[in-house]
Amino acid sequence: MKLNLPLVRLLVVKDWQLFQKQLATYVLAGIVALCFLGLAESWAFYVGSLMLLIVMVAAACFSISTSLVVERKEQTLSFVMSLPVSPLDFTISKLAGNLITFAVPFVILLGGTLATVLLTPLPDGLFVYALLIFAYILFAFAISLSVAMSVESEGWATFAMIGSMVLINPYIMALAQIPDIDQRTRVDAVVWTLPAVGILISLVVLSIAVLGATTWFHARKPAFN
Amino acid sequence: MSSELSHERVHYLDHLRALAMLAGVLFHAALAYSPLMSGYFPTADRQNSPWVDAVVWGSHLVRMPLFFLIAGFSAAWMLERRGAGGLFRQRMRRIALPLVVAWPLVHWALSASTVWAARSVENPSAVLALVRYLTELPDPPSAPITLAHLWFLYYLLLFTVLHWAFRTLGLARYGERAIRGAAAWVLLGLPLLVAPALATVSAPHPAPESPLPQFWAIAFYGAFFALGAFVHGAPDWLTRARALAPWLIVGCCALYAAFLWRLDAEPPGEAHPSASWTVALLEAFLSVWLTVLCLLAGQRLLQRPSATLQYLARSSYWVYLLHLPILFALQYALMDFELAWPLKFALAGAGTLALCLLSYHLLVARTPLRRFVG
Amino acid sequence: MSFAFSLNGVAKRYPHFELQDITLALPEGQVMGLVGVNGAGKTTLLRLITGIAAADAGEVRVLGHRLPAEQVAAKREIGFASEDMRLYRTQTLRWHMDLMQQIYPAWSEDYARELAKRFDLRTDQALGGCSHGQRVKALLLLCLARRPRLLLLDEPTTGLDPVARIEVLEALADVLRDAGRSVLFSSHNTHDVEQLADTITFLHKGRLVASADRNEFIDRWRRIVCQGALPSGLSAWPEIASARANGSLVEIKARAWNESLPARLAAEGLQVQRTDAMGLEDIFITAVRSGGAA
Repeated sequence: MKLNLPLVRLLVVKDWQLFQKQLATYVLAGIVALCFLGLAESWAFYVGSLMLLIVMVAAACFSISTSLVVERKEQTLSFVMSLPVSPLDFTISKLAGNLITFAVPFVILLGGTLATVLLTPLPDGLFVYALLIFAYILFAFAISLSVAMSVESEGWATFAMIGSMVLINPYIMALAQIPDIDQRTRVDAVVWTLPAVGILISLVVLSIAVLGATTWFHARKPAFN
Repeated sequence: MSSELSHERVHYLDHLRALAMLAGVLFHAALAYSPLMSGYFPTADRQNSPWVDAVVWGSHLVRMPLFFLIAGFSAAWMLERRGAGGLFRQRMRRIALPLVVAWPLVHWALSASTVWAARSVENPSAVLALVRYLTELPDPPSAPITLAHLWFLYYLLLFTVLHWAFRTLGLARYGERAIRGAAAWVLLGLPLLVAPALATVSAPHPAPESPLPQFWAIAFYGAFFALGAFVHGAPDWLTRARALAPWLIVGCCALYAAFLWRLDAEPPGEAHPSASWTVALLEAFLSVWLTVLCLLAGQRLLQRPSATLQYLARSSYWVYLLHLPILFALQYALMDFELAWPLKFALAGAGTLALCLLSYHLLVARTPLRRFVG
Repeated sequence: MSFAFSLNGVAKRYPHFELQDITLALPEGQVMGLVGVNGAGKTTLLRLITGIAAADAGEVRVLGHRLPAEQVAAKREIGFASEDMRLYRTQTLRWHMDLMQQIYPAWSEDYARELAKRFDLRTDQALGGCSHGQRVKALLLLCLARRPRLLLLDEPTTGLDPVARIEVLEALADVLRDAGRSVLFSSHNTHDVEQLADTITFLHKGRLVASADRNEFIDRWRRIVCQGALPSGLSAWPEIASARANGSLVEIKARAWNESLPARLAAEGLQVQRTDAMGLEDIFITAVRSGGAA
């Protein structure tokens, strides 16, 4: 089956238009959060980074919810399926739309955090730790998107979104139990240890694999159902 | 006038924007001779004059506000003509790309010339002396990352995004309602809105050079950007404002005298890390009223097509992008010369403009670069 | 003869439902009404013809395209609206029209405006604030203005108030004047089908009960009222769909009326009192209850 790129683009734009009021709110909240970081006060740094994290997670979850879960729930999915699109076009459009919506705040936040770690008096050892936290968020997003693309149940899709994001707490606690990771966060140097690299690579590879497998599974279907 | 403003190219705005950008070159050149900036500006000369302060801070209050007002008008104009997609593509090509390319080059050029000057100049400014001290430390700190004078591109992008977000959420309607009312409402209300922002920073207000957005700069410059966008939707507002112009002129004269007096009494520094409410209010009223007066004057005097002004309008963007590294290099080179400050100012200003215009003529005017920075 | 669609031995299995051995074709330019109770398999059949669902067995061809492999090409020429299809509540009809215009090259803005006027639809109103009838009409507008070669409508009049129903039927009647366009529409309302369709197909429990020209149905089916005692074995006659006695009166419904039938009934001791043509609803119910081919 051949990918119809102009139509994929149209579907992505359509999903963004449907999501744009929420997106505008997140963009405003994101700019306010960046302004807090720009105040260069420690309290503002915590408020700003927490706000950015909330904005990123909320934007990712609501993007998945609007483009996949709500479309199914409100029966607009059958309208989309009636358009001249193949399952491949549809899958790629959902993947691309959600990935971009997630990637824009993710990259800004990741870049901002890493730059803050390297360019401020914060210990540079936090560089690797920050990457490990972001890798988990990427992994949680990949799981949430894959489940939402694969199941018809709104409950399961919501459970996957909330569950994967909530599990960041035990993940952070688990990282604190690994001396090679925990102790390096207080050192003013970027040190790559075996457990840190192992976890980082595993999470990134798993995220790509989960998204790749979901895409492959849906894209090769001859029809929607 | 309504149809003219809405649908046709508004020449006087192009000309005003060009003049605002060129005024920026002269403003930065003049700061080297400002007593107020002698402790803070890298190219501060041994000689300075209070007359510089008397003039430059007036231009500082109007130059960038006027620029952002015109930017807001242009954004609304382009949105109407080319839609959100067209506006986005234009902003990417003419703002985001030049910012991404120019920023590292400007940062490198300014750092290199400053480090060179710190080592070589015999009569360094306070900032150069500090740089010399820091570079001689065994573990010298790296230069702070700032946007330098390119901060305006960063804020233009930010305002484009905010413009979209406000329109999408339907929040622009409050401003649209205000602009349809009596012109005095905006002329009195807008200064009161931006004064709190100016009260959070020192006076005269600094340039928001940090790569992270600043609340005060978004509120202050954003207000002018929004005013420009609203004026596009209600072009008769300028006609109504024109009736108040004589009052504004008288008001500006009185307020500027008061501003200079307060600036002398409350100079920026450790004793006054942020502007007092009085100074913030004076700055706010002066910015709004002077900007509107410039707009009215431009509408009356600059609407006719002029070959010189059009050339300046086309080249002003490139000139502004390029000017600061050249200006700093020239002023560092002039620091040890025993010349009167007006002569140094004229040499540095004219030299910078000449080099920038020459490079525009050779590199931009007839090349594909003009699509991006022409 | 070229066909708008043809199904050959098509089957589709779901956990609690099965569509079995469907062989059916619609010549181009004709209108077919698909009649069946809820759960008969009408929606599944339409989904197979749009390429949204893939058949487990058999072959589906639509406008010369093999489905589901060539579903994109086929869907470019199909207008499909179903009862369970919804438009985006937060968006206006104008937004939907703009989307369609970008997708379908044959989209006619003039026709869309004309339909909006005819259906009394405001294009700048968010669809969330519209009634069910307005939403159905909006969906129909989006299907019709793309000028499809094949129009597939699944229960288009279900849930509409009488006025909206008449408006939709009138619009459909206008569309049907276009000889080049083929239409398949499903309904459990036999009156709508009777008004519009050239060909009628009965579907029941996933099986094709009958498919024939409308007039042929009306000509073949008869309700015969006789005097006498109901003879045993009458129901086994292939032309008899049902027979029941009420006192000395016997009501017979014949699925294949012919001139010799009264004489054969007389030979069994039944005197034919009256012979009436049957309505489509009656034919459908009798055919479904009798279980045999109609």
